[in-house]
Amino acid sequence: MGDGQSPFILTKWGDRRMSRKILPYILLIPTFIVIITFIYWPAAYSFKLSMYRVSPFGNRMIFVGLKNFKKLFEDTQYLTAMKTTLIYVSVSVIIVIFLSFTISLLLNMKVPGTPIYKALIFIPYAISPAIAGTLWAFLFNPVVGFVHYNLSHYFGINVDWFTEKPYALILVILTSVWKVMPFDIIFYLAGLQNIPEDVLEAATLDGASSWTKTWKIVFPLLSPITFYLIIMNIISFMFSSFAIIDVVTRGGPGDYTTTLIYRLYLDAFAFQKTGIAAAESVILFIIMAVVTFIYFYFGERRVHYQ
Amino acid sequence: MKKLLVVLLAVLVVLSFAKVQIQFWHAMGGNRIELIQSMADEFMKLHPDIEVKVQYTGSYRDTLNKLIAAVKAGNPPHIVQIYEIGTQVMIDGGIAIPMQDLIDKDKTFDIGKFMPQVLNYYKVNGKLYSMPFNSSNPILYYNKTLFKKAGLDPNHPPRTFEELLEYAKKLTVKDANGNIVQAGITWPLHAWFFEQFMAVQNAPLVDNNNGRTGRATKAVFNHEAALRFFKLWYELTKSGAMINTNKEDWDAADQYFVSQKVAMLITSTSDVAYLSKMAKEKGFELGTAFLPRPKEAKSGGVIIGGASLWLIGGHPDKETQAAWEFIKFMASPEMQIKWHTNTGYFPVRKDAVEMLLERGYYAENPHHLTALLQLLLSNQTYNTRGAIIGPFPQIRDIIETAIQRMLNDEMTPEEALKWAEKEATKAIKEYNEIYQ
Repeated sequence: MGDGQSPFILTKWGDRRMSRKILPYILLIPTFIVIITFIYWPAAYSFKLSMYRVSPFGNRMIFVGLKNFKKLFEDTQYLTAMKTTLIYVSVSVIIVIFLSFTISLLLNMKVPGTPIYKALIFIPYAISPAIAGTLWAFLFNPVVGFVHYNLSHYFGINVDWFTEKPYALILVILTSVWKVMPFDIIFYLAGLQNIPEDVLEAATLDGASSWTKTWKIVFPLLSPITFYLIIMNIISFMFSSFAIIDVVTRGGPGDYTTTLIYRLYLDAFAFQKTGIAAAESVILFIIMAVVTFIYFYFGERRVHYQ
Repeated sequence: MKKLLVVLLAVLVVLSFAKVQIQFWHAMGGNRIELIQSMADEFMKLHPDIEVKVQYTGSYRDTLNKLIAAVKAGNPPHIVQIYEIGTQVMIDGGIAIPMQDLIDKDKTFDIGKFMPQVLNYYKVNGKLYSMPFNSSNPILYYNKTLFKKAGLDPNHPPRTFEELLEYAKKLTVKDANGNIVQAGITWPLHAWFFEQFMAVQNAPLVDNNNGRTGRATKAVFNHEAALRFFKLWYELTKSGAMINTNKEDWDAADQYFVSQKVAMLITSTSDVAYLSKMAKEKGFELGTAFLPRPKEAKSGGVIIGGASLWLIGGHPDKETQAAWEFIKFMASPEMQIKWHTNTGYFPVRKDAVEMLLERGYYAENPHHLTALLQLLLSNQTYNTRGAIIGPFPQIRDIIETAIQRMLNDEMTPEEALKWAEKEATKAIKEYNEIYQ
């Protein structure tokens, strides 16, 4: 409506300037109704619940203030989950960024058959995390697993991928990386196709090797994308890892692959500890708020834009 | 024409309202979904005025969660199947009508026909809260064909922990590289087996007589009975004679056994029908036996597992009455026989067993008899009646975590047990705080 061509309903409202002020808000109402009922209200309710001890059926609520948080930070299992999350997320992010960048470079080489490779590589993105988990669990199954069989037959790696340390975590990381990678590749490919040819040509003329070109020119040019992907990957590993962990290891062995989100699931839906679980979700909220803040704060400043 | 349609519509509406509609949620997956539906269909044939809407609501855990959500939203189902370890939570929730109240009012119903072993579990403070429906316990399944191959007597299954260890080692086959081709035994990595082997040795899990004479206040399972079982598990695993599954992965254990990758399996009797069928298909001879017991331990028995039917309150009287009719029907001898023979969960009533005996069923299906006899021959003590604990699901997870830590050599069996008991007590205290 910016250029003053008001639709006919506005004439009914009389004062055009007034309606111009109100109209945007009216248009936002449907969105806000959805956001408020499904995001803000539950979030606010979680904040409230995090200060209570709640019985499983919600028939008893006792105000405990910040005791739930205190309990969590004294709970060794919760602290272990924090450590696990840190290791799992950082290792996965590093691997997924490195792999997807490399694969994107290869896909960008315009060799015959690239569309087929692209299609094959993008498939995991279309699969739900639970199915991805089932697939990988099947491959590594100690009885019928194809990968497990070959590893033990040819390389003598005869381990139980679900119940042994550290293999359970390795399997979870592999699965998550496989699942998230296509997302990153899409962004990297788009980025690579936007790098001006003349920059690279100039570098070639200056005698730069392809290694130098890749790491000194291409990678820095793509740094905004990398930064964005790191943030997005942190979010997806922290949250969507739930289904994969549930299917592949169920948080085991022990609580070795129990991440914060899996711990939250257990406390909320397996043990019915609503208050504690609400406190955990508040902690996750704070972590995410920090990550998002970093993204908005540094995303605009530090990262090299062309 | 239009008038006719309106009349028709009105008649339809009246007819559909005349039927009493009740909701039944259950957690029996796979082909049991159809089995339960067929039971409900039979009920509706007998009671044309009642419509039972049967819904499979996922695992036991999911079903309880859905019930909680439905209760909070104000539209709970009439009948819901809740696992045995949810009993205390259901009682504390105060949303169910205790079965006892309806039984006392209904003169046609004789609870005396039910098995005391089963009733004892669901009776808390002398009151029956829910209707037993699917009850099971664990037994030892073994592959007689592999027994023969290993030079073991197929008619002498292991009876003690010592024998179990010896047999499992003999049944383990390694190839030239030292890879395990066939393992001796498996059972799901589930705390249920810990509880059962405690009961087998007549040892309690929690204080106040397993929570039966008062609300449990602390865990008491850190003693020799538990340690014997932990050590057995540890040694079986470390010698390569046992394959372990993921936490609570029942299917994986079944698959190891069915594919003859392991020679013995300890799992629920609810799989008798399935495993018998698979043994026939895969061409091996199946044997079943009672759970082995440490030589020096006291004699106990097994605890029933499974689930029961809860009647949720807050519905109109007419609907509650219809729901009670349905519950009675599901617990009737005919339905219990149908359920028993199609799954392996045992009938929860005595007259059903009598009828099956008359028909010669157990002569033809000896494995079903193993399950039943093991329960009937169990000593009835507080320890074999099963523990009543509020945060039972969490305690199970704690025990499973402790076992996995032990198997990964993070903790010795002694440390794992001590840690589990401490954490379990913490969980109980935390739960009890809400109800003080």
